[in-house]
Amino acid sequence: MEIDPGTLEHYRRKLRYKVRYHLGSFCPDVDDAVQETLVRFLRALKEEKIRNPESTGAFLSGICNNVIQEYRRRQWKEPLLDPDSSPPERPAPPEADLLELRQAISIAMTQLSQRDRDILRAFFLEERDKEEICQAMDLSDAQFRVALFRAKQRFRRIYQEELKQKPRREH
Amino acid sequence: MDKMQIHENPLFREELIRDYLLKRLDAETVEAFESHYLSCEECFEELRASQMLMAGLGQSKVEARRVEDILVLQFAGPAQLTRQSFELQELQRAFQQPDTKVLIDLGRVTKIDSAGLGQLMACYSHAVKNQGMLKLLNPTAEVRSLLRLTKIDSVLETYDDERQALGSFDRP
Repeated sequence: MEIDPGTLEHYRRKLRYKVRYHLGSFCPDVDDAVQETLVRFLRALKEEKIRNPESTGAFLSGICNNVIQEYRRRQWKEPLLDPDSSPPERPAPPEADLLELRQAISIAMTQLSQRDRDILRAFFLEERDKEEICQAMDLSDAQFRVALFRAKQRFRRIYQEELKQKPRREH
Repeated sequence: MDKMQIHENPLFREELIRDYLLKRLDAETVEAFESHYLSCEECFEELRASQMLMAGLGQSKVEARRVEDILVLQFAGPAQLTRQSFELQELQRAFQQPDTKVLIDLGRVTKIDSAGLGQLMACYSHAVKNQGMLKLLNPTAEVRSLLRLTKIDSVLETYDDERQALGSFDRP
């Protein structure tokens, strides 16, 4: 089984997401954990330990879990030697990227109808059950599904479009 | 967690993603979902979109509270009143209410442009048309200088102290 560079980059992106989910977005060692996971994964590939390509996701996830656990153990065993010393310097967050993303999200939100926003907010933010939302908004089950997915698709299309247009606008 | 169910039942996937992002899933389901999205581009993209969406929905919005018959509007976080801003839409929404005494706390408004100022004036017109009042509270130095420059502050009363601002609604 061979992995092309494109697939490896896809894995890197998703692993970064997974590591952040477990260690937190501000963990300074996210990229190191991802790199370590990929090194172990490529080694396993070379040693032909992955026989079933269908289980690649589970295999990769398992390696990543080990790396995360080892990291946590290390953090627990090796707290800062000098309690008064300042924590290691964290890489500066990409403020410009965050702002751009936030603006794109904001613009996408404004272009949704009030009804779409109400449905999305009830489902994603207020964590309300489908039945409850249907009752409150006088929607049938099918209408709710259609409205939810259409609203999400619309939101996604707009913010992706906004992000694509950003560099063009600036030039 | 059934792979088929994820793809054949979009609502199930949506609920799964939402609960994953809200960290409401048990460890086994988290592991199963992560194993899945690591090899499934479609589900990963859905996950990312839901995350953005939740970020957007949670972005600073206008909070409203009532002090007697006055509606006090405050931004829940740093806000920009600029073209296409979500906050501006929220503000407009608040004025759809037939409520007429409104105090807008601008303390968290970091930026305002002509669209934002125009919107404030539109809110003011709307309030006046309904025999109401609109006043401003706590503008930042930047916002205050813009209000002065555009002479909007001669129309819209602006206060630094909330109690004073609330008391001013009683004066004829």
